Amino acid sequence: MRFTLNIWRQKGPNEAGRFVRYEASDVSPGMSFLEMLDAVNQKLLVAGEEPVAFEQDCREGICGSCSLVIDGIPHGPDRGITTCQLYMRRFPDGASITIEPWRARAFPIIKDLVVDRSALDRVMQAGGYISVNTGGAVDGNVLLIGKDRAETSMDAASCIGCGACVAACKNASAMLFVAAKVSHLALLPQGEPERTRRVSAMIEAMDREGFGSCGNQYECEAVCPKSISVRFIATLNREYLRAGIVESALSSESESPHAESV
Amino acid sequence: MTRLFSHFQSSVGTKVILALTGVGLVIYVIFHMLGNLQVFEGPHALNSYAAFLRDMPILLWTARIGLLGIAVVHVVLAIHLSLNNRRARPIAYVIHGYRRASIASRTMAASGIVLLLFIVFHLLHLTAGIIGPASAGLIDAEGHRDVYGTLIHAFQNPLMVVVYLAGQVGLAFHLSHAVSSSVQTLGFEHAALDRLFKAAGPSVALLVVLGNVAIILAIFLGIVR
Repeated sequence: MRFTLNIWRQKGPNEAGRFVRYEASDVSPGMSFLEMLDAVNQKLLVAGEEPVAFEQDCREGICGSCSLVIDGIPHGPDRGITTCQLYMRRFPDGASITIEPWRARAFPIIKDLVVDRSALDRVMQAGGYISVNTGGAVDGNVLLIGKDRAETSMDAASCIGCGACVAACKNASAMLFVAAKVSHLALLPQGEPERTRRVSAMIEAMDREGFGSCGNQYECEAVCPKSISVRFIATLNREYLRAGIVESALSSESESPHAESV
Repeated sequence: MTRLFSHFQSSVGTKVILALTGVGLVIYVIFHMLGNLQVFEGPHALNSYAAFLRDMPILLWTARIGLLGIAVVHVVLAIHLSLNNRRARPIAYVIHGYRRASIASRTMAASGIVLLLFIVFHLLHLTAGIIGPASAGLIDAEGHRDVYGTLIHAFQNPLMVVVYLAGQVGLAFHLSHAVSSSVQTLGFEHAALDRLFKAAGPSVALLVVLGNVAIILAIFLGIVR
């Protein structure tokens, strides 16, 4: 198979970018999208040109590193997969394919197709964790959690933090990501003690990073490689409203275990 | 209370206020449609209903000022959010494919602007009587303001019918995304009810617009005269 690729090239964060055309020939239908790019880069290296920079790691759809917008859709035309799980047989022979990086103010481009997604990490640092004293592992089944609840929490926890939701959203909103992280912990007893503080801090961090707001178009769910439901966004909204009411009622009291009593 | 207030300044809080004001306006629009359906019961029903509303000036003006306030908040916050959202993606995609977003959800700004212009026109036209119907201010046989006559006169004019139908198209598009969207923003979700919530937008939009369009067309086609 052969393809014409239209790839965004940008030397560095502050350089101007542009599209460059590349021909990919001798592509096997069984190649993944990233393997096809590897082959293109191999030829560029041989020709003494700078290879196309793109992010990748596990190549089995669980790390969340690969991040390409393929013909206008994050992770390409198939549903519920990452770019590395997309195969070239999905495209008609001779197709012209446009490849762009995730585009959002919160995701500045580092080089070519690589963007800086540490904004998502900072949102996590604001509250996407539980505070526990380290020590021996808790015995299994000490905390009983209903099957439905555990499954729903696990659905949210399947988020790999790739940022496709942000890339697909008209407003570059990170609501599905934050919703998955907040819901995952809010549904479990382990997350309960910091529930209120977590959601407030994470929404505040999300706004600070310059993500847009949710327009309820649900493009995020359609491109999510883990098909995380937008129902979690409603859960997030509810958690946030609850936090507003609880915090205003408790005003001075802090529920954070980290907060030292003075 | 200050904590609650600061919550409403965030993007999610702003959207909650947008949703709440929107719900308020939708409830008004539903009652507005239902009230006006009395045109089918003849001049007496509609004119005495209008007189009944005007009999309570305190309530009437409270409702009017309240609605105006709600509408202003709704529009200002919508503009504020749109500008913020535009800033969130400084460089657009060359190709942008939609997978799931409804046409209504993609045209919220456009339908909102159409709706705003239409509402201003409608208020100047049928409420204040500044534009249009020469019959405004007429009195019917029972001494009430002849709202019925004014309506009949207005919608016999094809130009007015076109303007009002255009307004209804804007309303249909706006509501069909807005109602379901508000439910989501206010945090309602349930496995058993999600389909109902999803259908709420298009259903409310259809009902309200069908009711309004029925009035306009019935008068224009001479079914009600």
